[in-house]
Amino acid sequence: MATPSDGDVEQKQAVSSSKAKKHDSGAADLEKVTDYHEEMEIVSQDMTDAMSHLGDKIKKEKAARAQREQELAKVKVRKEDVDLVVNEMEIPKFKAERILKEHNGDLVATLTALTD
Amino acid sequence: MPSSQPLPPKENTLFKRILKCYEQKQYKNSLKFAKAILTNPKYCDHGETLAMKGLTMNCMGRKEEAYDYVRRGLRNDLQSHVCWHVYGLLQRSDRKYDEAIKCYRNALKWDKDNIQILRDLSLLQIQMRDLEGYRETRFQLLQLRPAQRVSWIGYAMSHHLSKEYDMALRVLEEFRKTQTPKPYDYEHSELLLYQNEVMRESGMFNEALNHLETYERQICDKLAANEIKGALCLRLGKMKEAELIYRDLIARNPENHENYRRLEEALGLSNDDARYNMYKQFRSIYPRAEAPRRLPLNFTFGDTFCQLIDEYLRRALHKGVPPLFVNIKSIYKDKEKIPAIEKIVLSYLESLEKYCTFSPADAEKPDYDKEPPTAYLWTLFYLAQHYDYLRETTKALKYINIALDHTPTLIELFVAKGRIYKHAGDIKESVACLDEAQSQDTADRYINSKCAKYMLRANLVKEAEEMCAKFTREGVSSMDNLNEMQCMWFQIECAKSYQRMHNYGEALKKCHEIDRHFSEIIEDQFDFHTYCMRKMTLRAYVGLLRLEDVIRYHPYYFKAAKIAIEVYIDIHDHPPTDSDKTEEIDTENLTPKELKKLRSKQRRAARKAEEKKKEEEKAESRHQNKNKHDTEMDGPKEEELVPEKLAKVDKPLEQAIYFLKPLQEFTSHLVDTHLLAFDIYYRKDKLLLMLQSIKRIWNIDSNNSRLHFCVCRFVKAVEDKKDIADAVSSVIKQELKKLIGDQDMKTFNEEFIARNPNSLEHIIAGAQGKYVYSNSDSVIDLITQLGDNLEDRNLQNCTEVLNLLCDFFKCESAAEEYQRKCHELFPFAAQFAAPQEEDDHPEESKITTKQANSIPS
Repeated sequence: MATPSDGDVEQKQAVSSSKAKKHDSGAADLEKVTDYHEEMEIVSQDMTDAMSHLGDKIKKEKAARAQREQELAKVKVRKEDVDLVVNEMEIPKFKAERILKEHNGDLVATLTALTD
Repeated sequence: MPSSQPLPPKENTLFKRILKCYEQKQYKNSLKFAKAILTNPKYCDHGETLAMKGLTMNCMGRKEEAYDYVRRGLRNDLQSHVCWHVYGLLQRSDRKYDEAIKCYRNALKWDKDNIQILRDLSLLQIQMRDLEGYRETRFQLLQLRPAQRVSWIGYAMSHHLSKEYDMALRVLEEFRKTQTPKPYDYEHSELLLYQNEVMRESGMFNEALNHLETYERQICDKLAANEIKGALCLRLGKMKEAELIYRDLIARNPENHENYRRLEEALGLSNDDARYNMYKQFRSIYPRAEAPRRLPLNFTFGDTFCQLIDEYLRRALHKGVPPLFVNIKSIYKDKEKIPAIEKIVLSYLESLEKYCTFSPADAEKPDYDKEPPTAYLWTLFYLAQHYDYLRETTKALKYINIALDHTPTLIELFVAKGRIYKHAGDIKESVACLDEAQSQDTADRYINSKCAKYMLRANLVKEAEEMCAKFTREGVSSMDNLNEMQCMWFQIECAKSYQRMHNYGEALKKCHEIDRHFSEIIEDQFDFHTYCMRKMTLRAYVGLLRLEDVIRYHPYYFKAAKIAIEVYIDIHDHPPTDSDKTEEIDTENLTPKELKKLRSKQRRAARKAEEKKKEEEKAESRHQNKNKHDTEMDGPKEEELVPEKLAKVDKPLEQAIYFLKPLQEFTSHLVDTHLLAFDIYYRKDKLLLMLQSIKRIWNIDSNNSRLHFCVCRFVKAVEDKKDIADAVSSVIKQELKKLIGDQDMKTFNEEFIARNPNSLEHIIAGAQGKYVYSNSDSVIDLITQLGDNLEDRNLQNCTEVLNLLCDFFKCESAAEEYQRKCHELFPFAAQFAAPQEEDDHPEESKITTKQANSIPS
């Protein structure tokens, strides 16, 4: 007798395999033929180092980005300016706002940059 | 994770059957089991069952109900990963990838290690180029399935694509260490070459060269390995090694021009004599090779050139090389070489007529061999093409006609004759030539297509369609079949043809069809995300991804978009009022008899169209029956393109912008892109966007003739417009100053004309500018000049002047005068032919005069 959780597992598999067929049944067959099942030692020391190094790098990038976002968030832009940029340059509002902020709210500089 | 709505054993068994049936595409049974669960009042709200019912219905083409059920299922069981996954699958089948990604993410919240969902998610992420998300998903997959090589490759690639070369290389190297290559292991070889590619992209050229040398034996694609190695050696300044490699590559294929060029670089040959000597050596090593004979023609001059081209031509004419002219056409860019070639070939002709040798001197040799009669024929053929290139139509026709008298069965001659007429502006005559050509060999698809293309140039769409039908699938209209086969050259020519006939609906239909081809090509890459990784064709896969990123860069897209934008602008300028109006004008000038004929013709056409439609519907339903089970694989049904609807579009300029956006993104290096943008925004009265287009053209080519007229119109638009916002006006002032300085427009225009006295294109732009500012008669004198000093007094530009005289300057008397003068210059061109000459085709004359003005040269 199948417990609910058993059923769940089956469901998962069923849905997934049906999905594979849905997109490309050929690819599904191929999976059976070419899938590789040799056991392999994952993550050697070198890899761990690389990953942590990369993790740091990504973290730093994220932090820099967050800081930039914070700075931009502080810049105040006038609503009329945003509307003017949207209307003149036919770009979405969020974009107009962002570019204005990047130019410290300077409307002329923003428009000049946008005509480049 | 257990479901929040557990089913008792009996129902659970039923649910499993639903899944099984769905998987086996037994949709009806699947629905039956779903019904069995849902009719039980206790479980009528069971979310996962409802969702599966919806998914099943989606596969049966019942879209609306499908969405309804899946959403209801989800609402009843928001914590079920099955429901979310199903919702994602549904969205994906409709190609709403962004939505699908969100659904998968929700599904993963409830079952974070579900491999299948993670895989699906990664596919969507790479398809949508969410590289950051892709990297994260691939990392999870690697951790969950470290034993699969796809996990490693995918993870490495995710770093490669986001330019994290260092990490990508480490992962690849770790993975490589675990591999033990079999003999002639192609997949392993591809892995190595991929690894090498990443090294080169990251700028590690030394490491790449070492890597290549270390694993040389394991690499199966020897050619690629050698080419890479050669390029690396050149890059690293190891000229000796590079030389050896390129000598090897030339031995392997002595016709590859690139290898000769690289060898020149490796040898450090700076002067032309040294280069010439190198090719001379190769000529004796590979006496049958063409490349070492052809390449020196590019950089030699004077006597050496004459001697070389003489040898080259004799060889080819003796042997009979049909594309001889095409092979050396690029030399014609050098104006000084043209007379030399002409003199040589004319001397051949004279000598061949008298002595059957290429020169009289040959005939004096004691036991000389006569040239075959074909040598004479190919010489004539060459001369015809030569004079056609120089647009000396009369001479070109003279030689091609002698050739045709000599051998009336050579198809190439008819094609060349057609081309001569096309260049001279007589498209009717050129269609006749091509028709003759294709009738001589109806099994040759090249000639068939060429003929169809010329027919389209002559606005004979129906005839072209029938011509193509000889090679398209039977039982389907050739137009549909060509669309299905994504035959874009045909569709573009077709669109142009409709555009010239002012049949905007049909023209737009063709443009949208082409646009859809490109969307489909992007769609088609989906299958390769799984396939390429599995098959290890990694270099090709990365190439594919990069190609798809810029697919609308393709010239075919550019051409289609240009037509579409022009048509939409035309629709904006002349909004359709009454669909019958144009017809009424036409009928006014007809005699009652002609009118009757026309009416019966229309009736017949209408009847025919209806019959055809019925037939198509039948075919469609048959088609649907056959594909009933595959509908989901085709993706969502796209809206049908109805020409009438397309021509009556509400906001034509917005539609034009839809086609413009990809051009601005991918072909911003082309002046035409920004000219089109200007034309759109000029009509929308968006000053800054006009300025943007102008600035972009300026940066590409500041003396562009068309740019000038844009600037004139722009300044005028600024002057005419009231209440410009302060910021906008100061931007305009500041930027205009950079473009035209402090001059007023009149001086700016006069100076422009004075600066380019020998360019008709610039004179046209100057005259248009002048007209905008002073509206004086002197512009007519300016624009109608046809002096010999003009460097670009060609058919295309003169046709443009004539069109402008009619439509822009609205000066009919000047137009007639100009037409007469041009007729003398271009006696064959239909657009300049006097009206009475066309009276022998009374039925067509109306159309031809109207269309002739816009026939391309």
